[in-house]
Amino acid sequence: MSLSDSNPWPKMTSRDEFRFLADMIFARSSGDHTMVTLHDERAGTTRFADNRVIQNVDARRGLLTATVSFGRRQGTASTTDFTAGAVQDMVARAERIARAAPEDPEYLPPPDPQPFPVRETAREETIADGPVRRHEYANEAVSLCRMEHLMAAGIVSSSVASVGVAADNGLFGCEIRTEAQFSLTVQAGDGTGATGWSASAHRSIDRLKIQERTLAAIDKAKRSREARDLPPGDYPVVLEPAAVAGLWSWLIRALDAKSYEKGTSPFAGRLGSRIVDKQLTLSNVPNHADLFGVGFTSEGLPSEPSQWIEDGRLKQLAYDRFTARAHGIKIIPTLESPVLSVKGASVGSVRELLKQIDRAVLVTNLWYIRSVNLRDLTLTGMTRDGTFLVENGQIVCPVKNFRFHESPLRVFQDVGVATVPVEAVTPEAGKMLAPAMALPRFHFSSVTRF
Amino acid sequence: MGSPTWDEFAELALARVRRSGAEYGDIRIQRSVTGHVRGEDGRIASVRDAEDGGFGVRVLYHGAWGFAASSVLSLEDVPRVADLAVELAKHSASIATEKVRLVEEPVYCDRVVTAVRIDPHTVPLEKKTGLLLETMGTLHGRPNIVRSTAEIWWCRDRKRFQSTEGTVLDFDLSAVNGSISATALFEGRFATRSFNLPYLRQGYELIEETRWSEEAIRVAREAVEKVRAPAVQDGVYDLVLDPEHLSLTIHESCGHPSELDRALGYEANYAGTSFLTPEKRGTFRFGSPRVTLLADNTEPGTLAATGYDDDGVECQMWDIVRDGVFVGYCTNREVAPKIGETRSRGSNRADGWGSVPIVRIANIGLEPGEQTLDQLVADVKRGIYIEGHGSYSIDQRRYNFQFGGDAFWLIENGRRTRMLRDVIYHGITPEFWNSCDGVADRSFRRRYGFITCGKGQPVQSGWMTHAASPALFRRVHVIRGGEES
Repeated sequence: MSLSDSNPWPKMTSRDEFRFLADMIFARSSGDHTMVTLHDERAGTTRFADNRVIQNVDARRGLLTATVSFGRRQGTASTTDFTAGAVQDMVARAERIARAAPEDPEYLPPPDPQPFPVRETAREETIADGPVRRHEYANEAVSLCRMEHLMAAGIVSSSVASVGVAADNGLFGCEIRTEAQFSLTVQAGDGTGATGWSASAHRSIDRLKIQERTLAAIDKAKRSREARDLPPGDYPVVLEPAAVAGLWSWLIRALDAKSYEKGTSPFAGRLGSRIVDKQLTLSNVPNHADLFGVGFTSEGLPSEPSQWIEDGRLKQLAYDRFTARAHGIKIIPTLESPVLSVKGASVGSVRELLKQIDRAVLVTNLWYIRSVNLRDLTLTGMTRDGTFLVENGQIVCPVKNFRFHESPLRVFQDVGVATVPVEAVTPEAGKMLAPAMALPRFHFSSVTRF
Repeated sequence: MGSPTWDEFAELALARVRRSGAEYGDIRIQRSVTGHVRGEDGRIASVRDAEDGGFGVRVLYHGAWGFAASSVLSLEDVPRVADLAVELAKHSASIATEKVRLVEEPVYCDRVVTAVRIDPHTVPLEKKTGLLLETMGTLHGRPNIVRSTAEIWWCRDRKRFQSTEGTVLDFDLSAVNGSISATALFEGRFATRSFNLPYLRQGYELIEETRWSEEAIRVAREAVEKVRAPAVQDGVYDLVLDPEHLSLTIHESCGHPSELDRALGYEANYAGTSFLTPEKRGTFRFGSPRVTLLADNTEPGTLAATGYDDDGVECQMWDIVRDGVFVGYCTNREVAPKIGETRSRGSNRADGWGSVPIVRIANIGLEPGEQTLDQLVADVKRGIYIEGHGSYSIDQRRYNFQFGGDAFWLIENGRRTRMLRDVIYHGITPEFWNSCDGVADRSFRRRYGFITCGKGQPVQSGWMTHAASPALFRRVHVIRGGEES
């Protein structure tokens, strides 16, 4: 049976069609300025649990959004209906809002037209092989788990989106973006809640490494059986890349420039100062083949390489256009392709790293991370899907999951041995490249029952 | 010739499903309109009007599911999507080890409409923005207030559910909300206080009946008081929790564990499983005898009171915890028979036409007791009164939780005395609910709704309401959130 043959994907909005739609909107808008965005996506997910498929879904959603301004008044309307009448109605709704809205002191006209970088944002195999490949991959993961008498739960997903931005001043960008994702939780089925987990994400569905990731999750689940109690307290830890990414996603979110200017940021007054260990550097690398770099943002700004933290010093904030202009920032940096690196780190894998550890708690992943105190960026959350005691370079035993109560601004002050940056994918943090790291002190405030 | 009707689109899709040999199929056609006016720091930062329409077809073929959806509601796309849903179901069936069996439900033809006195879409935008600007002006009128937000949100969903079993349901559902927040800065420290309307299925009357000016004055005053307040000292305290705060505690520590799909492992890879496993039903002591948690998807105005769920099952009322004992789950037609139940509880919901329905928390509320709030507080020697939502986190089986709040007051010798900041409490779910030593009476009962409950892959947002009266919990571990002075 061939889903792709018998049920071809619907045709997505092309670059020319988006230009036609945008021109039609500009022609019908009476605003001083009009800006249009497009997100036309088809996405599918094969979801499995208890070693069988529980959902097999496929959806196509097109979304057009228009923002119309009269002077400093603006309004935004959107529609999923691309017929001429619906598009005209959308423009009329945006105009009605803009006429009735109060003036916005922070209003800025659309960005000037500029060429956007051309990036490899789409992979043909992901476009071509959606539903069929998802089934094959799900079957592979489930079969490997069945052979070990373990229970698999997870997803294989893939999507293709036509994404565009245009303004009546000539600004125009349109690109196809693909994404594929695999994540798997293996339940040991021993009644104690022991699990193992692994995940991957890539523009190419060919690069999900299903077998490698499945075997890693199986290994974690088997090792997690009969977890021991360790008391809460301060421990040296080894954080695997997903756990590092989970903490850094919150640090990245806190880089908002407006909060910085208002004094309501954990970094207030620290731009240019060292905020983490001087070995750490955080960069945006949109050209990296393993990341989700884009050519432009929905605001109509280009995505370029940039450095945010260099040798532990905070170099950059996340600016909205108004705040950037108020502070003379000409190029607004973006951070959709983050790479966190440790200077001089050459260790290739977590296994190699563990050989250098006397005693530590090894954390596979962190879950339900939430802010406790934005002033010092204290966070809480749980360890999940593989927490182990390491002694003399070896995993000694699994331990019950901890709740942590820590700030990345404290724990990343002193980084020990680390790996090179590798893929880190979590449902809460998205994807980045991050190293596994040894940290001398990490506060676990309580323990759960599994 | 006019455009095809929803009747014709539904028949077209379901005819394809029937011809495929599938044992069950349904279609949801939906058109939603959402409005959002958002103020920030004294200005109107955005005004948005979103129209979202499309349809989704769900098929059960040889005991396995397929689902396909599209925003293109046309004579070309409806058959394509219906056929794709059938093919996806056939693929699912090819690796199925167990067949899905749907528990019986009567066939319905009905129409459900939210009672709305004032349609939010007819209220002039100037009136909405004027209200928010005036509110933020009041907030910023207080020294030390450096940031503010004020927003109004409204939504109207028109939906058709139709199944191969013959059920035809039409919905015209509305919901409204609004909120305020103020952030105070003092000696380099900042703190935020907020006020939230309860997200109800009502019209704009909910906004008009709110005393925005009075609430803004209070929120600004309490934000300043909060930022100047001393941090809590770590220790063991009695807690008196207000209804808004309890709505989140109920949601996370009782609502999610009572979803049967989680207990059966469906969510193991993301949202997690549940410590409330099926063998515990009817015997497990979840809380003290004062704790009764009732699921009620029939209470007018609440978010999950939609008449029917996305399985076409009629909304119901049932016990989750009765006198402290865990007795019931939230279920759908697929999972209910797995624990021997003969009817679904009607808790299967999708967050739109493009999503497949999954088991969702019902409107679970804490049943009132017999005391007054003053009597609860008077019974506390050293404790903390907590209002609103703050930080929250819980493990994937819903045992170990940690909550903050929006505002905290010290209770000393039976009296609420002064404000505190940075209060965090943590515990293990059944131990916490077993420490419940009193619930205020029905006159103190308040309802709070949620529209961003994340679950499923792809992740969906669930809607439900949790009602409670203030409740007293004994000897809870409290720690200070954050280390800075």
